[in-house]
Formats: sequence, structure tokens, C-alpha cells
Amino acid sequence: MKARFLFSHKCKKWGWIITMLTLALGIPFLFSRSNFEIPWLEMNVYHHQFLGPEGWAWSPVNLTGTLAGSGLIIGLSLIAFSRLKEEDEFTSRIRLESLQWAVYVNYALLLLAFLLIYDITFLNVLVYNLFTILLIFIIRFHWILYQQKRLLKNEK
Amino acid sequence: MKNNLRLERAIKNITQAELANKIKVSRQTINSIEAGRYIPSTLLSLKIAKVFNKPVEDIFSLEKDD
Repeated sequence: MKARFLFSHKCKKWGWIITMLTLALGIPFLFSRSNFEIPWLEMNVYHHQFLGPEGWAWSPVNLTGTLAGSGLIIGLSLIAFSRLKEEDEFTSRIRLESLQWAVYVNYALLLLAFLLIYDITFLNVLVYNLFTILLIFIIRFHWILYQQKRLLKNEK
Repeated sequence: MKNNLRLERAIKNITQAELANKIKVSRQTINSIEAGRYIPSTLLSLKIAKVFNKPVEDIFSLEKDD
């Protein structure tokens, strides 16, 4: 099975850069949304209205959360789905199995969260859950690759 | 499935890395095939057999519980 729908290998480092920048911005924001909104990121955006009249309109919103969330999605996606320098059928299989593993683990954790966390705290779970699949996949995939490299060292 | 890849390599005196280069896969792939951790696709098996100039069944064979 040939690896399809992957970004070029060069995208990986951009993924890291975007993720690191966004985390610097986003981590304080994740923990206390109201305190860490960057004030000058308030601007007029065309969006679906929450308060006031129904429908879509232009109105001011703060874009700190938008930037943090979008940045993380783009950054993590670039890291997760950039080609390796050498792709072959073996790495394709590892990638597929890691994806399946990540989905399993993600939903196991989510299930636990449903059972253990309630009320408004659950909102935090929802926010983290946006990114955990990508994160778990990245960790698992690279861990397996690292294990394989180590197995090579024990051989000739 | 079992394979004689290591034996064939020794006969022909090529390393895992050299074999990997010939058929354009990573050394990890060859290593995993030899260790029985990975079953190669038909395409890859044919390529490997071609390197050793033997039929595929001489290198890869079915086991009882396959």
C-alpha cells in the first residue's frame, strides 16, 4: 500500500514551529480563557451569532482562541501527516496501525472522562479532546519508528 | 509464513542495507521481514525474489497454521 494524502517531508518542521508558537500562546489560554485573551486580537468577523438576532453577521470577537485552536490543528496535522524521508509499505502499515491505536486510546480516555468528570469541568475535557487523537497518534507512530531503529542497532 | 531471507542473503553475501537499497525500501523493512514481524506485499516479495534470481516460493513459504 503506497502512502497517499501525505504532506511533503519539509512540512514537518513547519508543523513543529507552528505548534510550538501556538502552544506558547495557547496553553495559558486553555487554562483560563477569560484572563488570557489578547486584547488587540479583537476584530470584526463574519460569523454565526450567539447573542442577539439569529443568523450570520459581522460583529466583534476575540481571536485568541481561534488562533490557538486553528494553529494547533494545523501544526499537529503537519507533524502527524508529513511523509517520512523514506516511505515504504512497512511505514505505511505502522502509520495505519498507529492511527487505529490512537483512536482506541482516545475513546478509552474519553469514556473514562465521561465517568469521572462532571459539570462545567467537563468543558475542559471537550477542549483537550479536540487535539488528543492527533497527539496520541504522533507519539505512538514515532515511538514505534524509534523502537524499530533500536532493533536495527542490535542486529548487524 | 517462514522465509529463508537471511540464508539467501548470506549465500549471496549482501547486507540488509544493500538489499534494502536494491529494492528501494528501508533497512527496517528487511529486518522486520527476516524476523518474521512483517509479511511483505506480493510486489515486495517478487522484487526480493528477483534480486536472488529465484522463484518466490523458494524464499517465502506457508506454514501449517497459515
